[in-house]
Amino acid sequence: MDDERPARFEAVYREAYGRIMAYAARRCDSPQDAADVVAETFTVAWRRMDELPPGDEAILWLYGVARRVLANHHRSEGRRQARSVGLDARMADLYADSPGGEAELEAIAQVFRALSDDDRELLSLVAWEELDREQIATALGLSRNVVRVKLHRARRRFARALAEAGIRNTPESRLAPAEGSL
Amino acid sequence: MKNTDEIDATTRALARVAPGTPGGDPSDAEARALLAAITSEDPGTAAKTGTRAYRRPALGLAATVVLGAGAVVGPSLLENGSGVPASWAVTAADGMVTIKVRDFRDAAGLETRLRDLDVPAIVDFVPWGQRCREPRGRHVDDIPRGLYSLPENVPGEKRGWQMRINTKLFRPGQTFVWTISAPASGGSSSTSTYLMEGPVAPCEPVPRPTQKAVEQEFRTATLKGRSLEGLRVDEKTVGEVLPELRKRGRKVVFMTMVIPPGNPGGFGEGRTRTEPVGDDWIVWEAEENAKGVIRLLVTDRRYDKNPVYGGPRDAVITE
Repeated sequence: MDDERPARFEAVYREAYGRIMAYAARRCDSPQDAADVVAETFTVAWRRMDELPPGDEAILWLYGVARRVLANHHRSEGRRQARSVGLDARMADLYADSPGGEAELEAIAQVFRALSDDDRELLSLVAWEELDREQIATALGLSRNVVRVKLHRARRRFARALAEAGIRNTPESRLAPAEGSL
Repeated sequence: MKNTDEIDATTRALARVAPGTPGGDPSDAEARALLAAITSEDPGTAAKTGTRAYRRPALGLAATVVLGAGAVVGPSLLENGSGVPASWAVTAADGMVTIKVRDFRDAAGLETRLRDLDVPAIVDFVPWGQRCREPRGRHVDDIPRGLYSLPENVPGEKRGWQMRINTKLFRPGQTFVWTISAPASGGSSSTSTYLMEGPVAPCEPVPRPTQKAVEQEFRTATLKGRSLEGLRVDEKTVGEVLPELRKRGRKVVFMTMVIPPGNPGGFGEGRTRTEPVGDDWIVWEAEENAKGVIRLLVTDRRYDKNPVYGGPRDAVITE
């Protein structure tokens, strides 16, 4: 093992940890699952450091890894990632602070969950991780044009589904405007 | 609700962690324990060995205890001169069993007492530097949360350690497999803990694998009769300690300690490295090996108490 590797990994880990935690928490139903996804994502990254791109692209690559980990995780539920259990309590805190409660928001969440995985992921990467089209293209390994078209369709399908569910008012987002760091 | 901004705002409102907000701080204890656990794994072999790699004793305490493997109490935690109270004590209340271990040779006695208290346990003593040949049985992967706690210091005592086991969480057919070890000279001790299901093979002692030559056989260097006798390094910064060691011409390596949440006393052995760490890192103790290499036990930040001793060094080392 070369000596540079751990130091570089640690730098990426420090930079990305908070965002991967958030990514997982936003997508998993339980804090335990989210903790597993975080641990597995970074474990994969450690093993595949040779593929880890430099600079700002590292986080996009990690989002891509996390997405695949998440997909696999859903298929192999029931087995805990031993090393992730330490994160459970921290994750549980995030879940305790989750938005929710209002009936309307819950109704919207239901519609959102009914979208296809791909649609949800695109909308989420824009709204939650605040990635732009180019960054999404990098994370998902698609061309910018494909992302543009898919995103347009995803938004349209979400809007239509909301309308069909009788939800007309946009909830005033209680969340402060994002200060994206990308 | 038709335009793009509205749709995105609607999506934003659903985020569990607000957009633009991190889900965690990489300097949290859990975050650092995970980092240490991951980077202690050799990336080259990890992919081939799969989950087995998680069971390496070099993992942080937080991770190892939960997965049931190699909960290694740092030897210095228990190191002391004489006066071994040759007893262990177990108390039960409401299914919770608190185990205090002081004599790391009395495996049979500890096992009997545990079984009396409905803990399905196998306890083996192996000579220092050895372990039982693995695998002895099938490891349980989904260990119930709260089944057992981290080993920690016994309050008010300089020696021994204690941990808690919730006996109600064992499932039929599961066995708590302990290996305890201590050198003939007394002083240090270590334990590893596994949860297994089904039959468990008898312990066949084999030499404990060592990862790197530089990591073996380290012992506290600042005690009487050792090479750094009289030099205090505990709770100082790396920047304060290094010049003196360099002046003495010592080769120095660094071991990153993995501190369990809450810093209960004790630590996991993280990576040992030769390249320098930050001058502002904290040194908790210095060790030496037969070749005279000094290994500093370090963390990247200051803790409320010395994890090596579970408190001030002076409360443990009284020579």
